[in-house]
Amino acid sequence: MKSRSWRLTKGVAIASTLMASSLTFAVGAPMASAAPHRYTIGFVVGAEADPFFQSMYVGAHAEALKLHVNLVWQGDPVDYSPATQIPVVQQVLALKPNALIIAPTDTKALNPYIAAAVRSHIKVFNVDSGSSFQRNITSWVTGNNTQGGKAAADALATAMHYATDCTAAKKCDVAIGVSSLTTSTDAARVAAFKAEVKAKYPYIEMLNDVVSQSQPSVAQSAFAQDISAHNLAGIFAVDGTDAEGATAAVKAAGSAGASIKIVGYDGYANNIASMVAGGLGSLSAIISQQPTLEGTLIIKYAVAALQGKKVPHLQTLPNITLLPSTPASVLAKYQYVAS
Amino acid sequence: MSTSVDALVTTVKSQSRVRRVVTNQQFVLFVVLIALILFFASRNSLFFRVGEFSNLFTDFSGLVLIALAETYVIVAGGIDLAVGSTAAVSGVVAAGWIQPLVNHGVNQAVILLVGTLACAVVGALAGGLSALLITAFDLVPFVATLVTYSVGAGLALVISHGAPVGYNPGAIYWSASGIGMITWLVAIVLVVAVVLGVVLHLTVYGRYNFAIGSNEFAARAAGIAVRRHLISVYVLAGVLAGLTGMFFYIRSGSGAATTGVTNSANLVAIAAVVIGGASLTGGVGRWAGTMLGAAVLTVVSDGLIFINVPPTWIQVVVGALIAVAALLQSFRRRSRRVP
Amino acid sequence: MTIASERTPVLELRNITLHYGSVEALHDVSIKSYAGEVIGLVGDNGAGKSSLIKVISGVNTADSGEVIVDGVRRHWRSPHDSMAAGIETLYQDSGLAPDLSIGSNIFLGREKRRSGLLGRLGFVDQRAMEKEALEQLARVGITIPATQRTVSELSGGQRQAVAIGRAIAWAKHVIVLDEPTNHLGARQSAEVLNVIKSAREQGLSVIFISHSLPHVLEVTDRIIVLRLGRVVRDAPTSEFTVESLLGTITGLNESTGS
Repeated sequence: MKSRSWRLTKGVAIASTLMASSLTFAVGAPMASAAPHRYTIGFVVGAEADPFFQSMYVGAHAEALKLHVNLVWQGDPVDYSPATQIPVVQQVLALKPNALIIAPTDTKALNPYIAAAVRSHIKVFNVDSGSSFQRNITSWVTGNNTQGGKAAADALATAMHYATDCTAAKKCDVAIGVSSLTTSTDAARVAAFKAEVKAKYPYIEMLNDVVSQSQPSVAQSAFAQDISAHNLAGIFAVDGTDAEGATAAVKAAGSAGASIKIVGYDGYANNIASMVAGGLGSLSAIISQQPTLEGTLIIKYAVAALQGKKVPHLQTLPNITLLPSTPASVLAKYQYVAS
Repeated sequence: MSTSVDALVTTVKSQSRVRRVVTNQQFVLFVVLIALILFFASRNSLFFRVGEFSNLFTDFSGLVLIALAETYVIVAGGIDLAVGSTAAVSGVVAAGWIQPLVNHGVNQAVILLVGTLACAVVGALAGGLSALLITAFDLVPFVATLVTYSVGAGLALVISHGAPVGYNPGAIYWSASGIGMITWLVAIVLVVAVVLGVVLHLTVYGRYNFAIGSNEFAARAAGIAVRRHLISVYVLAGVLAGLTGMFFYIRSGSGAATTGVTNSANLVAIAAVVIGGASLTGGVGRWAGTMLGAAVLTVVSDGLIFINVPPTWIQVVVGALIAVAALLQSFRRRSRRVP
Repeated sequence: MTIASERTPVLELRNITLHYGSVEALHDVSIKSYAGEVIGLVGDNGAGKSSLIKVISGVNTADSGEVIVDGVRRHWRSPHDSMAAGIETLYQDSGLAPDLSIGSNIFLGREKRRSGLLGRLGFVDQRAMEKEALEQLARVGITIPATQRTVSELSGGQRQAVAIGRAIAWAKHVIVLDEPTNHLGARQSAEVLNVIKSAREQGLSVIFISHSLPHVLEVTDRIIVLRLGRVVRDAPTSEFTVESLLGTITGLNESTGS
């Protein structure tokens, strides 16, 4: 997922990433409980320290306790890429779990390891992102990114007062910020957002994507360019990093950013705080996933499947649109946890 | 190998003046910089505005301190891969320390001064680690600073749990205030940059830096305390990286563990130095070259967003730029060689 | 030229022993050098010549033995100390920083500072250094027209001239020259030998290391022969011919009973 903009010394980049990952690997991964349980389930994610996956861990951990599952939760704390995920998968498979739940960091790269697991009678499940070869996957629980992208387009159009402020003569420019162009979830949301805009909002002009490389300051610089070059009316920030960058760019632009509306993704604590606080650069709406529920459901399905029960092959959970008017109790429910 | 006595007392044949100017890297870079600005302005006249130049200056400031840090280290015959992650770890540590002050409504100037101090201290510690590994354990700078890079990136993540640390909108507003296209923040960075240039080219400290990179044995034989100097150079680089971490904190109002890491800021900084005409073998480099190198990189990456070029192409253009700079340098070296 | 053993030597080494790991580079080496005297230090490769001058200049510290300058026992923590004591060393091939200007090289480690506050802040006075560098080189008989040029732009002979000029210009007591005529043609070598003679006339003690035995015989007053880290002969130059010197260096003289 991390697309590096600098390939000056490719070896350096790779070596340093590997070193950083191996160094941080040990400290970031919560330890699985030691008590004996009926099933051992490996759970491998990427960018494990991200509040999204931390929230997923909360759900998975609670459900595992309830069902007496020995949960082996692993993943590189920061890196979301097959290069760091494959060794983790191999280690987890070496523990001979009854099932493997994986959020694949690449649709294809993990397939051989999934196939190997299936051959040694380990049931494999997807959570969040999915594998391209679904025949090896018993069940997949994921957020509905297509629905989420559409919801974001609708929320942004509403916030921008599309009906009155955008016309054929005076189109509204919209910037889209993503962390990486190669992440399947980001890509699905952006594609759905763009499709929805094309279908329903002809007077919105979409600029080229801003790629933030998971770095708020990179997003901020790029949005500052878009604000300076165009009559920007709205920003769709596909993840928390881009939301933070968009907020800072609009704040720093001062009066030039006064009318810019931002719709962000994910119920990060600071996203919700920004929306509730209001004012210049605050979020007008948040499209939130339900990672805790995803974690709960996939453990439930995994245990059921191991017990020979029938489970749905694909379970999509709708994304929730949170607005400044949403009650605080609901906001609290969808806010992601920090580790 | 034998030369006549005349060769002892006469100077080598002068290169033609025209050739000297045309192959002078700083001159070429200056022409390229002007050409780039004119090109972007011709594609979108909004480029020639105070607001846009303010953006350019700000982004330049985020790069220039670590590029100058890298200039000192590279001229001294080393390399510092740690600057990016040092910025990250300084930023998150400072953000954590000063958030209580923000919450208590302490004067923003006090908050930012405390944060700057904290960043400088953390940066100095990171630089000190590199220096220790190089001078006491005889690691080559490449490996030593890779260790520091990994430790810094890992610690930043552990401290921040992968989420942005702190929230200080007052800092964002201050980062945008100033006179015309120069914000106070940029002005401070530029003053530091000028001081670094003066020290590099006009003082004994700078002279020793060149001497050590040019011929470490000669420097030691001339009575220069080489080890002490090298320690000070890596600590200086760490402090400058720490200040860059504070710069990004002020800009986005929070500290992020990804700052300077996911976009390989260390390689961007090295690229600026190389484009500026420095030699990676040490002893050769100019302050003006690095300033222009950083300016060209900033204008290219911002300008391409400004004229709405797809983000993937930006990497290609920047890569090509580095290749041209390297070719120019090797051409220049060949034309200068004396039998 | 006097070889006055009753006088205090300018530089004396007593019982110097030096190891590189398990290899013994110098074993119980004692030498004396006097003002106005040129000593030739000769020996085969690996005889310990370079190790000895590194002990003299403070690049290496001896495992045991004493370094005595003007009758005072000294301990070098770094080359800076030996330079401060008036000992200048010209290292073979590697004494200059190629990317610095000639003037900067002449003043390397002893940069002239600007006057007043700027000087205290560490600002160098480049113009004064370039000017004085020209004068210093001229004083020892070396003319280089443009001292702003970097050393990398000079020919091998020019570099050597700058290095020698620097050593002689700064030396107060002793000057150590390691292979100064290496890579030089006949006429350039003659120039270098003249520079050595003029240094002797200025009252300096010169230690001259060379493989070129005719040069050693031409310019020195006394010759010290090293073999396998030990002094095997220390005698006035008049007692040697090229053949006998070669025999002493290789050890053939002893085996033939000379």
